[in-house]
Amino acid sequence: MPAFDSPASLDDEQAEALEALLLELADDEYVQAERYTEWQVRAPTLESDLALANNAQDELGHARLWYDVLEDLGHEEHELIYEREPDEWRHSTLTERPFDDGDWADVILRHYLYDVAEELRLEALEESSYAKIADRVGKIQNEEAYHREHAENWMERLADDDESSERLQDAVDRLFPHALTLFEAGSADLEETIVEAGFRDASLAELREEWLSIVVPYLDELGLETPVSEIIQYDDYDLEVTDDTLPEVRGRDGTHTEAWEELHAEFTNTYRELERSEATKIMAKPE
Amino acid sequence: MDLDTVKERAGPREFSPADDLPEEYRKAATRMIEFHANSEIMGAYLERPFIREAPSIDRKLAFSAKVQDEIGHGQLLYRAAESLGVKTREEMLDDLANGDGKFLNCFHYPMEKWPETAMIAFFVDGAAMRRQATLRRTSWEPYAHAMDKVCFEEGFHVKHGESILAELMNGSKKEQEMTQEAFETWWPRIIQFFGPTDEQSTHHGFASQVGLKQKSNDELRTAFLNQYIPKAEKYGLEIPDEPRIRENDEGNYEVVEDDLDWDEFFTIAKNEYEPGVGQINGRKEAQEAVEWVRETIEGGPVPSGNQPPQAAD
Repeated sequence: MPAFDSPASLDDEQAEALEALLLELADDEYVQAERYTEWQVRAPTLESDLALANNAQDELGHARLWYDVLEDLGHEEHELIYEREPDEWRHSTLTERPFDDGDWADVILRHYLYDVAEELRLEALEESSYAKIADRVGKIQNEEAYHREHAENWMERLADDDESSERLQDAVDRLFPHALTLFEAGSADLEETIVEAGFRDASLAELREEWLSIVVPYLDELGLETPVSEIIQYDDYDLEVTDDTLPEVRGRDGTHTEAWEELHAEFTNTYRELERSEATKIMAKPE
Repeated sequence: MDLDTVKERAGPREFSPADDLPEEYRKAATRMIEFHANSEIMGAYLERPFIREAPSIDRKLAFSAKVQDEIGHGQLLYRAAESLGVKTREEMLDDLANGDGKFLNCFHYPMEKWPETAMIAFFVDGAAMRRQATLRRTSWEPYAHAMDKVCFEEGFHVKHGESILAELMNGSKKEQEMTQEAFETWWPRIIQFFGPTDEQSTHHGFASQVGLKQKSNDELRTAFLNQYIPKAEKYGLEIPDEPRIRENDEGNYEVVEDDLDWDEFFTIAKNEYEPGVGQINGRKEAQEAVEWVRETIEGGPVPSGNQPPQAAD
């Protein structure tokens, strides 16, 4: 039985930690989806166009589920998406990076790095002590199951060719540091509460270790180099990433790359131009 | 099969790839379906930026799904066109990129503001629905079959368009004014969607003789006006004074054709209208930028998504 079945059962610090966790989940999915939609009508084939559109809609749907949980904590969609200042967003900088024209290797790598992390994060939320989170994880996992496979199919295809493999390597060099911000905490105190209260049953440090143990050997097998070194200790080894590998901005603490302001201005443009004060719901509220 | 037999037999879903059809039929059918497929792609090209602009998550989801549906319709239609054995999908997509492929007049115009999305999603898609519904009885079976799925999904698009329109026209004064302005800009183009009157249409005669086309331009335009003028008025839109529209003795709406800019229409039909040229080239550049991917995957299986596309709602 989850310990917390409503916001009323949380103390102030727990409520703050839950909000931080949900914002990270929702913002990651939302911004990842925004970038995916750029490939609609621009993907290399009609088939890949349809597949990326599926991804975009899956992630948007998940963002919608997490923002909806935030509504229980007193927020509203228009305020969360259209009226929040850019520096109040908590997504990882991986999701906000812009694409160069035609850089399909970038979106495929981002898709892979993100979806491995997403799988691990969802696993750590399956038994969440906050009932509504645990309830929604299953539905999301059903859709995510295809994502990693799709990304891996493309990764292997691109790595198998000299020119496209080079493009993949360029993407690794650019994106890997940003992917590490997926495991940064917005605030160390809140991260501690998230784990202590059982909202998530693995720490970010544990998730990062697991993620590295999957993506680093995988990329290595495809002939791609990562800024990660292996530290061998007797019969065991660790993957080590030095702090200076991470970008200056961390996303989770509200600092972002320049591209973010531009993206934010674009998706809030119509809302501002129409002087709206509400975001229209056309689908039934998620159960 | 000779042409006389084709004309004699021409009925709904009468011909399939199993029939040995004369070149005239196969070429006419290819031209018509290719035009339709190209229009799906160029419509999606025009609407894509509005996935981002959408002022709520639900609208964003619906827009992404709509654009996806249109790419899916393009895929289906190119397949139906390919089955005539005249052109391959690659040839059709290349022609679209190099400016030889023809597509709907409305998608040669730029779209800049959110209220314009209602003009496409409600009126243009509504007009398309009228035509497509009749094409479920076209004589080329693969085309008719594709229309079953296309019509089903277009129904959702029109409903979504209507919901956007209703919201705008129930919104602030500013929203209403922007919507009326968009309507005035788009209205003549929407009427021209159905092309010139039957006397002026180059391909109409043959296409209807062989059962490819089921209704004439005039019949479709009239049916559209009868249905959509009352709907526009219901939402508080004012029908512009021009083009003049009269009610005839049978109670049908009729357009004064001379009030429409046919020079512009035929410039568009030749792919020579400026914003349209920019849109054709914009798509071409995006496609050239991913040429390297197509080269990489050539000859092998293409990684695909495992999920069926969602319908827009």
